[in-house]
Amino acid sequence: MLTVQLLVNALALGAAYALVALGFVLVLNAAGAVNFAHGDMVMLGGVAGVTLAAMLAGAGLRLPGIVLLPLVVLISGLVGLGVAALGFWPLRDRPPAAMFVATIALAAVFEQSATAFFGPEPRTAPAVWDGAPIAIGGITLGRQPLALIVVAGVAIAGVYALLEKTQIGRRFRAVAQDRDMARALGVRAVHLVVGAFVLAGGLAGLAGALLGHQFFVNAGQGPAYMLKAYIAAAVGGWGSVPGALLGALLIALFETLVSAALSAVWAQALLYFALLAILLWRPQGLFGEAIGRRA
Amino acid sequence: MSAVPAPFAVFMRGPAPLLIAALAAVAWIAVVGDSYALRLATLAATQALLVLGYQLVFGHAGALSLAQGALFGLGAYVAALLSLHAPWGVSLTLPAAALSAMLVAALVGAIVLRLETHYFALATLAVAQLIHLAAVNWEMLTGGANGLPGVPALSLAGMTITRGGPMLLLAWSLFAIAAWIVARVMAGLTGLALDLAREHPPAAQSVGIDVAGLRFTAFVAGAGLAGLAGGLHAHVVGVVSPDVTDMPVMVGCLIATVIGGRRAVIGAALGAILLTHAPEWFRFLENRHLIAFGALALAMVIVAPDGLADLLATVRRRLWPLPERTSGAVLAPPAGVARRSVALRVEHVGKAFGGVRALDDVTMVLAPGEAVGVIGPNGSGKTTLLNVITGILPAEQGEVRLGTESLRRRPAFTIARLGVARTFQHAELSAATSVLDAVATAAFARSPRPPRDVAGAEARHWLLRVGVADSAALRCGALPAGRRRLVEVARAFMARPRILVLDEPGAGLSRAERIELARRLRILRGSGTTVLVVDHDIDFLAACVDRLICLERGRIIADGPIETVRRDPHVRQAYFGRDDAAAEP
Repeated sequence: MLTVQLLVNALALGAAYALVALGFVLVLNAAGAVNFAHGDMVMLGGVAGVTLAAMLAGAGLRLPGIVLLPLVVLISGLVGLGVAALGFWPLRDRPPAAMFVATIALAAVFEQSATAFFGPEPRTAPAVWDGAPIAIGGITLGRQPLALIVVAGVAIAGVYALLEKTQIGRRFRAVAQDRDMARALGVRAVHLVVGAFVLAGGLAGLAGALLGHQFFVNAGQGPAYMLKAYIAAAVGGWGSVPGALLGALLIALFETLVSAALSAVWAQALLYFALLAILLWRPQGLFGEAIGRRA
Repeated sequence: MSAVPAPFAVFMRGPAPLLIAALAAVAWIAVVGDSYALRLATLAATQALLVLGYQLVFGHAGALSLAQGALFGLGAYVAALLSLHAPWGVSLTLPAAALSAMLVAALVGAIVLRLETHYFALATLAVAQLIHLAAVNWEMLTGGANGLPGVPALSLAGMTITRGGPMLLLAWSLFAIAAWIVARVMAGLTGLALDLAREHPPAAQSVGIDVAGLRFTAFVAGAGLAGLAGGLHAHVVGVVSPDVTDMPVMVGCLIATVIGGRRAVIGAALGAILLTHAPEWFRFLENRHLIAFGALALAMVIVAPDGLADLLATVRRRLWPLPERTSGAVLAPPAGVARRSVALRVEHVGKAFGGVRALDDVTMVLAPGEAVGVIGPNGSGKTTLLNVITGILPAEQGEVRLGTESLRRRPAFTIARLGVARTFQHAELSAATSVLDAVATAAFARSPRPPRDVAGAEARHWLLRVGVADSAALRCGALPAGRRRLVEVARAFMARPRILVLDEPGAGLSRAERIELARRLRILRGSGTTVLVVDHDIDFLAACVDRLICLERGRIIADGPIETVRRDPHVRQAYFGRDDAAAEP
């Protein structure tokens, strides 16, 4: 029974990581570079959730967490737009390392801003689905993990439909494959890249608000989330969307199980060792073929 | 500007203003500096060493390492542990700190340096996180989150270097020595070789530069400086906590490198001073000074990617322009160095990309001193053939021999050192490097390595012989494509090849220029160099080679004297899309 609870928790964590990784890999494909500020967009989503809830509570409105989520996504999308405007747009014709470095600086700005205006101490984001744990058979399941799985699942399915079924999605995939070729064919590549940033920001913010209830929100947590997405993308095969989602689930499973068996510290350390081993022996990722020389 | 007396301009162009600024800073600290100011200025020196090391890794070798901060922390822990637990250790802490960081870097570098940019960044980030985890959780050794308090002051040969003035002097002296060494090395051919290895690895290998070895050396040397900086930091602060291994150290180092400048040593000092003093100067912003600093870094990346050092240099050049360098020394290579010409044998070579057979059982022999042209329609495997010969791609079947030596499984740079030089279809030259330097770079792999000015004089000789000497002072990026190819031809000759492999050297040139190039190539190969030229223009080839080979779909369909191949019906079919010999004008 305990294993089922453990697995549900792992799945919930994995669903949130998958949101983070999805945005990361969309930007990676579109801009051809790593967005180092991605983790801080997650953190800012959590901050937005906490702040919104506090403001509404101050105004006498006690809304359930689920109502806040669209607002959080909207704000985070704007953050993504900001990242695109500062970290990508001015550097779009420079080598990928330029965006990497710029977003590192941007991440520092985000983190310091959050510390300065939000405070360094961890806070709890509102629950999406409040209430006592649900008991099914002999198993008790928290409501928040269940809600997290559902919300993240819907968001991911939505993005997937956008990518696979719509004209915008087709254009986007063309840009991801070959930006110059897509441009030559008349696709307004830069608009789509900026769109990817906005979408990535929204997804990251959603993940931040969802995770912020169980794992708290604090200004310094950005790099850890960025690293998870980065690892998921590398493990899943650079640039592969399904690979990154699967990679995120694997990381969550690995973390939950190793934490339960050994300790959280060992879970972290072994994850890094596993990553190094994969980069060494299977640099094309665990799933699928290498996308080629993207970096 | 003409009102400025010349001696003043000469003074301002030289190193004097820098020295005066440094002396003024020292005097200011000595006069008004309290112990806090002294400590801050000392910490600036440790940061400057860290950034100097990162310039080697990131600026020169182009490796986006995210482990530099953790290696700094490692050095700090090693220095602290040694001075706390080994009584003899206090005078050895700094070398030990540097060496331990180099050891870890060598281990990590051997494994992950071959990864590409983003994978390399991630792998080094993982290593950094592991070092940080160890610092926090290995409490027996590191004291856990509390760290190691009570690190004694440094002592050198029995003399204690007290914190304050003496330590400040030591730290900045160490930086000055390290910066002088780095600047000296980078002013020579090594700096040019690093530029080419960073921006065009295949081209660097084609002139015998061991790109992987160079990157590795830079990575380990940079780590040594990080470890040294960390060791100093431990002695300056007196406490070592896990913070020294954490992300903010790395981010600070990266930001300081970007603000100061990626390659100029003066940038390391500027970036580090700003990084350590910004909290003081931006104090009026209260706890928001770090936001301002991050925003400044971001602005620098966007507006001035080469950093403050470059801005300063530009301003100085504008105000007090350097006199035109008149040294146009030309030096022909000594007659004795021409290497014995050699035969090239390609034996049953095969290579496939996925399902496409790019080369299929290709066999050809170039006699010593012979010049052979290769023609063939687009996609017939011409460039693949050159890439297999020069070791950029491994052959799947068959092998290539140089004289009696097999080239199988040899890295490209060792093949180049055996005497195979080449040019590329899309000229591979660092845009910011001058034409003269680009050619001189090829002397890097010679042993003994000549000084840069000697290499430059010989480079001028080859530029003259190829016919682009008038562009010697221009940046490669400013040349039209055709002339860039000619610079590559000069660079290939600079490598003193026994076999010269040219990939469409005439493309992008006018017809007259092509005829001129063919004439020059004929003269140049008079010294006995074996030549293999790929081109589409049969007239151009006819003017500079003895024999033609025609490739089609990876197979040799004709091989013989120029006129025979030109009239061969298979060639006409494949190449001109017609087989009626009568159609020839």
